[in-house]
Amino acid sequence: MDREDLIIGIDLGTTHSLVGVVDTGFPIVLADGRGARLLPSCVSWPLQGDPLVGEEAMRAGTLVPERTVASVKRFMGRAYTDLAPAEIEDTPYRLVAGDRGEVLVAIDEETRPAPEEISARILRRLRETAEFALEQPVRRAVVTVPAYFNHSQREATRKAAEMAGLAVERILNEPTAAALAYGLDRLDEAATVAVYDFGGGTFDLSVLQMREGFLEVVATAGDTRLGGDDIDLALARHLADELGLGALDAIEESTLRARAREAKEALSEAESHTVRLPFFRGGESHEFELTRDRLERIALPVVERTAPICRRAFAEAAAKGAGSIDRLILVGGSTRIPLVRAKLREWFGLEPDLSQHPDESVVLGAAIQAGLLCGRVRQILLVDVTPLSLGIETFGGLMNVIIPRNSTIPTKAGELFTNAVDGQRSMAIRVLQGERELAKDNWLLGEVVVPFAGGPKGSARVGVQFSINRDGLLEVLARDTATGEDHVLEIRDAAVDVDDEAVERMVGESVDFAFEDMNERVWTEARLKSEELLPAVDAALAAVGEKLSGDERADIEAAAARVSEALGDEAHDARALKAANAALDEATQTLAALLVEAAFDGAG
Amino acid sequence: MTDPFSTLGLPETLILEPGAVDAAWQKLAREEAGGEGANESVAAARNESRALLSDPVLRLERWLDLRDPTGGAGRAIDPALMDLFAKTGPVLAGTDALLARHGKASTALARALLAKEAVEAQLAVQALLQEIQALKSGFLDRYSEYETAGAAGDFSEARRALGQLKFLRRWEEQCRARLLALLET
Repeated sequence: MDREDLIIGIDLGTTHSLVGVVDTGFPIVLADGRGARLLPSCVSWPLQGDPLVGEEAMRAGTLVPERTVASVKRFMGRAYTDLAPAEIEDTPYRLVAGDRGEVLVAIDEETRPAPEEISARILRRLRETAEFALEQPVRRAVVTVPAYFNHSQREATRKAAEMAGLAVERILNEPTAAALAYGLDRLDEAATVAVYDFGGGTFDLSVLQMREGFLEVVATAGDTRLGGDDIDLALARHLADELGLGALDAIEESTLRARAREAKEALSEAESHTVRLPFFRGGESHEFELTRDRLERIALPVVERTAPICRRAFAEAAAKGAGSIDRLILVGGSTRIPLVRAKLREWFGLEPDLSQHPDESVVLGAAIQAGLLCGRVRQILLVDVTPLSLGIETFGGLMNVIIPRNSTIPTKAGELFTNAVDGQRSMAIRVLQGERELAKDNWLLGEVVVPFAGGPKGSARVGVQFSINRDGLLEVLARDTATGEDHVLEIRDAAVDVDDEAVERMVGESVDFAFEDMNERVWTEARLKSEELLPAVDAALAAVGEKLSGDERADIEAAAARVSEALGDEAHDARALKAANAALDEATQTLAALLVEAAFDGAG
Repeated sequence: MTDPFSTLGLPETLILEPGAVDAAWQKLAREEAGGEGANESVAAARNESRALLSDPVLRLERWLDLRDPTGGAGRAIDPALMDLFAKTGPVLAGTDALLARHGKASTALARALLAKEAVEAQLAVQALLQEIQALKSGFLDRYSEYETAGAAGDFSEARRALGQLKFLRRWEEQCRARLLALLET
């Protein structure tokens, strides 16, 4: 093969990234000069010298957490206004708005990289790993993204790769990649498979049909803000409460999260684990014995968020004629958690298929797709879908779906537009992605301006064709039906589609975010939650309280009393109120389960 | 406008064997080189055609567009559909109100308090969906009659059926969307 033709496969993960290639017909994962295959997706800016990437950056993270960026994938392609206050608060580094309303990471006054610039550093390191292993220059790649990434997030990923000197030959959905790795060895099988992909920061569930070398995705659903990181955070908060650590500084927070992650990983194998925090605060040292049972109670709300997503994808696959699920393939580091496997058995009655390496199957699939593109693999045919409906905003602020979700890609659909008034020369269309009926509840991808030739009202006839290509990216083409002339319409970035004053205000707010302001916002959020929770506890106790044991009821009442107490605190300690809410949430888990059971019993 | 029948190499008929559309689509995809398939535009037209012909209502619409391009759409609504319409509105509105309350609930307990209503709403939507599908099947079962009449140049019944089926299809989609949303509660 010509050296220029080589294409590598890259899994750009939230917590780890990998690179692979097809070698003599088989996909392999490439290792760096030290033999490491997993590259932590982490970049750190030391106070002096060049930025560090990977393992070195992770180590620096405990010393300079505010200058160390991990899990930046969560912010790819998103506008600052799209971030929830809790997301900003829970991120150890500082996020600010750029002058177009985009998210930037504020390392210091001068250094404010965009998420794609940070990802580009990780991708450049992977490219170097490939060049080192293959002993040749590498310029082309297949890069994976969560299936549920929208157009903007995919575009940001492509831009990051370009910054790293890589031409993106295909953007591939992560669960689809994992299915490719699974399917390559099973070309003769006919089966309906579901890929449950639960990573560090994202969750996807895809249903595929395999037959005679055909691998066709029929439905996909996901959440791009749900992953193992959420469990680490919940566990770190629990440890802080149990150890009575009070308010944490950035270094303490970072250390605690690292220990929480270690504990979570250890408890996938062991039944108990000792969390050690030596010299945590000056001379203070702490130890905490954590059991798997306790971890599972903390992780349960996060794991349970994956269930409705699975049910939705299964229902949509069934509506499209897919048979019942024959195999449930697990990929992503978070599927190592025994609770995840147990819950999948409980919810769906399916024995999880563990044949795939949780960390490596996505990159192996990316390598296979790269092999398909450059002719190194031939025996498999892949067909994917678009995860989100594409539409335009219509009169009254409604979303008019043009391309429904789960349409096979590439796909196209058209609409005809005309001038509403005499002499109108153009019309702006707001392009949306999502499943909600109101336009404002969906992602705004941007605007396209449809040009008219002028003339009396209703005389113009411009056909606009929306296409989604194999990368899941949108292209918009306008055709003047009078002249037959086509031209590609530029999609103006959604982040730009905010008026100047709003951007200025946003930039100002994000840069000067005073602690008090942030505390007040978090307090308000927590207060609203308490005000919902306390009457809900009363109502639930009245409905099914008699089914609780005396101890369970006492725990709930004590936790509710602590919420009331924190709510009455004049100092508005947001952290204390959040912790009290979380404790009450946890204490009422059984109560919530009893209510749901009662609802189903009543229906039966 | 895409002619989905010729794009997939299928006869221009309303009555297609189950699996015929998928089989034709797969055959074309397989004939292309290297697993990568045709260029974007050809592949997009092929995928669009598959989606059109797999949906019996869209298939009827496209068949009429090709066979009877000057015919107008049937707009009259049968009394049975009017009765169904009177039931559909309240069920969907009630489900939307419940989903809105569920969306605002920020705690597991508050959401659990709505579980009973969610189960009831699910049963109501499912019952409605069954009624819609029964009416829809009534029209789909007559496709061979429309085809025969069409061969003699009479498209009036097919046009009338398309008008009713478009309503039924829309309500079916709305019910399915609510059921999916309820599954997520």
